[in-house]
Amino acid sequence: MEVSETIAHHILDHDLGIMLGAWHLPITAHTLTMFGISVVLLVVCILMSRTGKSVFMRLLHTLGEEYVAFMRDGIVIPGMGIEGKPFLSYFCTLFLFILFSNLAGLIPQMKTITSNIAVTGALALCSGALIVYCGVKFHGGWGFVKTFVPGGTPWWLVPLIFPLEVISLIIRVCVLAIRLFANMLSGHMVLLSLLLIIFIIGQMSKIAGAGSAVPAMGLEIFMTLLELLVAFLQAYVFTLLTSIYAGLVIHSH
Amino acid sequence: MDKLLSPDFGVMALTVVNFLLLVWLLHKFAWKSLIGALENREQQIANDKAAAVKAREEAQSAKAELDAKLQQISDEAAKKMQEAVALGLAQKEQLLAQSQQQAQQLLEQAKAQIEAEKNKALDDVRKQVAATALLAAVKITGRQMDQTAAEKTVDEVLQEIKDAGSARA
Repeated sequence: MEVSETIAHHILDHDLGIMLGAWHLPITAHTLTMFGISVVLLVVCILMSRTGKSVFMRLLHTLGEEYVAFMRDGIVIPGMGIEGKPFLSYFCTLFLFILFSNLAGLIPQMKTITSNIAVTGALALCSGALIVYCGVKFHGGWGFVKTFVPGGTPWWLVPLIFPLEVISLIIRVCVLAIRLFANMLSGHMVLLSLLLIIFIIGQMSKIAGAGSAVPAMGLEIFMTLLELLVAFLQAYVFTLLTSIYAGLVIHSH
Repeated sequence: MDKLLSPDFGVMALTVVNFLLLVWLLHKFAWKSLIGALENREQQIANDKAAAVKAREEAQSAKAELDAKLQQISDEAAKKMQEAVALGLAQKEQLLAQSQQQAQQLLEQAKAQIEAEKNKALDDVRKQVAATALLAAVKITGRQMDQTAAEKTVDEVLQEIKDAGSARA
């Protein structure tokens, strides 16, 4: 198997070929991982919301409260203002879902589902829908359409500005998906490439292959730690940008 | 590589459904109670803070009141102290004046007494001298004098001596 094929095999999604009658279900390795992450998230978050008598449960509950407070005071209110408070649940879920999805790839035999453009595209689609919903909710349907044209724009510029602003909003949402996808994919590819270096060199000379294992593993550990940081950072960036874009729509005049 | 960049719309739709369902479930069973607990705790902290601020203001007010009372008591005490000192000084002056007056009276009484005693003693001496002189005169002259005449003579002599003494003084 070629190196590129090996990398592609590890990164690309695999259809499990499950059929429901004549209907082909989109059950793949990534969607199964996503269901697993969702179940884990459900269990963890429901446990966090419960107030038990044991020290562990109290600690978990305090952690949950601190997490919600961080999301509210660190992401939602700075981005959207006080109007964003009703959407706090969405942002709390979004951050943890992306984080768990990013971190899942660091567990052996698990997939990084955020390195799949369909998954990040779906999340960006949800965020885009939220942005549009905020615009319609706070300005009304026509009011939201009018926000695409800044006040004071000459009438003859409107046909140019309006499509540009609409495209700008669509691009923002697409960039959300592409940024997360590219970051997670590249990290995963680098990790795989570093591992494959050992085997490529080993095919040429077994001694050289064994010698290259030590620096390659050192780099591998370093990159894994970097991926850990990137996993948190990308979840934060995606959530924060969604909040800022929604805030821009809410507070646009 | 093409497969990498072309999204599977089935997976995308499933992800949207899964994610929105997760948002709804977590909102219902986790975030709602966590947000409620957080807001309750914040409300409690805000209430406690307001109560602490109120208690502090009350304590400051009570302290100011106590300080004012303390100042008033201190002023009154100082005033009473001044009055007591003034009264004490006045009483001291009065007592001193009374003592001096009493001492003066006692001195004068003593002087008068001494003078009286002195005069009495001088009178006695004079009487003795006059009697002795008269007795000597009787013995020299060999004549007897009756008692009344003798006493009269003595008195006359004494009167003369007194007058002479007064004239010398």
